Amino acid sequence: MTLQQTTGLSRAAVEAVARASADPDWLRARRLEAWAACEQTPFPTVQDEDWRRTDISGIDFDAFAPVAAPPQAVARFADLPAALRGVLAEESGRAGLVVQLDDGRYYVELDPALAAKGVVLTTLAQGVRALPQVVRGHLMTRAVRPSASKFAALHGALWSGGALLYVPPGVTIEQPILSVTWLATPQVALFPHALVVLDSAASATFIDQQVSPPGERFAALSVGVVELFPGPGSNLRYVTLSELGRGVYAFNHQQTIAERDVQLNLLAVGLGGRLTRQHVETSLVGPGANAEMLGLVFAAADQHVDYDTVQEHVAGHTTSDLLYKTALRHNARSVYSGLIRIHKDAQRSDAYQANRNLLLSDEARADSIPKLEIEANDVRCTHGATIGPVDEEQLFYLMARGLDRVHAEELIVEGFFHEVTDRIPLEGIRERIAATIAQRLRE
Amino acid sequence: MTTEVATKAALMIEDLRVAIEGKEILHGVDLAVRKGEVHALMGPNGSGKSTLASTLMGHPRYEITGGRVLLNGEDLAELSADERAKKGLFLAFQYPVAVPGVTMVNFLRLAVNGVRGQDVPVAQFRKQLLETMKLLSMDESFARRYVNEGFSGGEKKRAEILQMALLKPQVAVLDETDSGLDIDALKIVANGVNRLLGPDLGVLVITHYQRLLNYIQPHFVHVMVDGRIVRSGGSELALELEAEGYDGIAGKNGSGKEQ
Repeated sequence: MTLQQTTGLSRAAVEAVARASADPDWLRARRLEAWAACEQTPFPTVQDEDWRRTDISGIDFDAFAPVAAPPQAVARFADLPAALRGVLAEESGRAGLVVQLDDGRYYVELDPALAAKGVVLTTLAQGVRALPQVVRGHLMTRAVRPSASKFAALHGALWSGGALLYVPPGVTIEQPILSVTWLATPQVALFPHALVVLDSAASATFIDQQVSPPGERFAALSVGVVELFPGPGSNLRYVTLSELGRGVYAFNHQQTIAERDVQLNLLAVGLGGRLTRQHVETSLVGPGANAEMLGLVFAAADQHVDYDTVQEHVAGHTTSDLLYKTALRHNARSVYSGLIRIHKDAQRSDAYQANRNLLLSDEARADSIPKLEIEANDVRCTHGATIGPVDEEQLFYLMARGLDRVHAEELIVEGFFHEVTDRIPLEGIRERIAATIAQRLRE
Repeated sequence: MTTEVATKAALMIEDLRVAIEGKEILHGVDLAVRKGEVHALMGPNGSGKSTLASTLMGHPRYEITGGRVLLNGEDLAELSADERAKKGLFLAFQYPVAVPGVTMVNFLRLAVNGVRGQDVPVAQFRKQLLETMKLLSMDESFARRYVNEGFSGGEKKRAEILQMALLKPQVAVLDETDSGLDIDALKIVANGVNRLLGPDLGVLVITHYQRLLNYIQPHFVHVMVDGRIVRSGGSELALELEAEGYDGIAGKNGSGKEQ
């Protein structure tokens, strides 16, 4: 397949992407508006407080080019690249699958029984036609606006691919929906977007996976946005699983707007990438909304990971429970910053934030920065952070029982993450995490 | 100590000197444990008993500055703790370490596989685990708990003996396995140890108190004071200690001072 690879991040590229995906006028206008915002916003530097510990000045963004290729459906699962099929998270079953390749190809399947109930699962580009009102009303307008950051603006101008899930009122999807983004074109810049809209009392699990060929020689740029809209009384479980190769730069902005009585379970798993910046923001806008926010990050040789989270309590009687755990090997570097913001009307809110970091080497470094902005007076708010090396006494104890150092460390790391993995009711994901980490501990 | 003893001893400690952060704690310890024998090492707090136990297992904090330790004739100095375990040495820890998030069953299976050098079939392992737990009056739910986390004193010590039973060592060092136990727990632990005794196992019981020796009968008793073994004898020595105290046994050396 010949790719219409554009030249760098430019207005011409925006036009080419809009043409390739045959955007309606409103969408094209939004792209250009976002591009205008992008042009006015410089890339963040270490002078910016939020980027003090993550230096991106060494990244040559112009070396990456967006692909402007018309969407092209792949008819059969078996026609997908073998390497991609091999890495699909193995769940015992799935209700649907969206695969997006970086050359415009895509594959979609959905349980017909769900389609009959009005569930829509498509690529976002198809969604623009299939559910124009839903897309127009939600896409980068209510949660992540292009004005949010340089990367949000870039994304707003250049997004292509990604997935749309819409679940009608009261419909429950028992098995997970999988969305997979596959980066395989060297120096590609990809802008995947996930848009999940659950109508009232609907229920779904959405697993969002980013994968690229392993190794450090494959370089690419991924600037993603995830917008989640669980409606009143709905249950949403969203998992993002990054298994990008160690030459990939990834910037992700995820935001959820949780209405009244929503049960939200978020999990961010970061196992790959050269440099990853992941923003995870949850706004609890309806009373009774309850959010669990879990993070599990493993980084090794030369990896830099930066997770920042926002727990925003807009309405009263809302709870958020956040636990992010990071284990670092070799000279890996991590930054975690977590903001709890409780608005003045959000009385009787309960926010919890914990960040735990395990350093497996003397050269690894972790920073943890909690921030609190609390305007209400009748709330519960707890936060805590720990950073520490592997306990030598634990190691000695395990080794005294015949486990060699590698197995002992593996067990300690597994135990460290258990507090998170124990709360993931998806066996395939749990096994995948364990296997990947075990392998990375042997590298 | 005769050459004959030296060649037959499963555990042979010769003029062992050990330092922590440059400070010498053991000033030349000699001890030989043959298979089938139970030795008790007694002494006041701070006499170096636990230093000896940790050194035998290869704790990286303890530096051997002189002498040597042989296990079945092989010098242990260069071996890591897991290699020592694989060669048949076992240490029941005075303070077993909690490993949160790791279940006992998972840990024990990896330990058994590690020591045996091969994967034991899961079904066979489970059967053996459940039987052994029963002998130690441990509930089945114990296997699903995290290693030593939230264990009572008695549970920790029983878990140590459970590990000893599963790993089937040739030489076991029990470091203050009686400390922190009430009399019922002490009996369970002692019975567990007694069941494992036999011609293929040499045991070194380290204890501060005589009472454990009412339940585990030693063939030999050694008294350690200030990093040296000052007296050795038969089981009657323990009774003598009980009557006279460490000061009486060790004379003016036996001040029993804390380190």
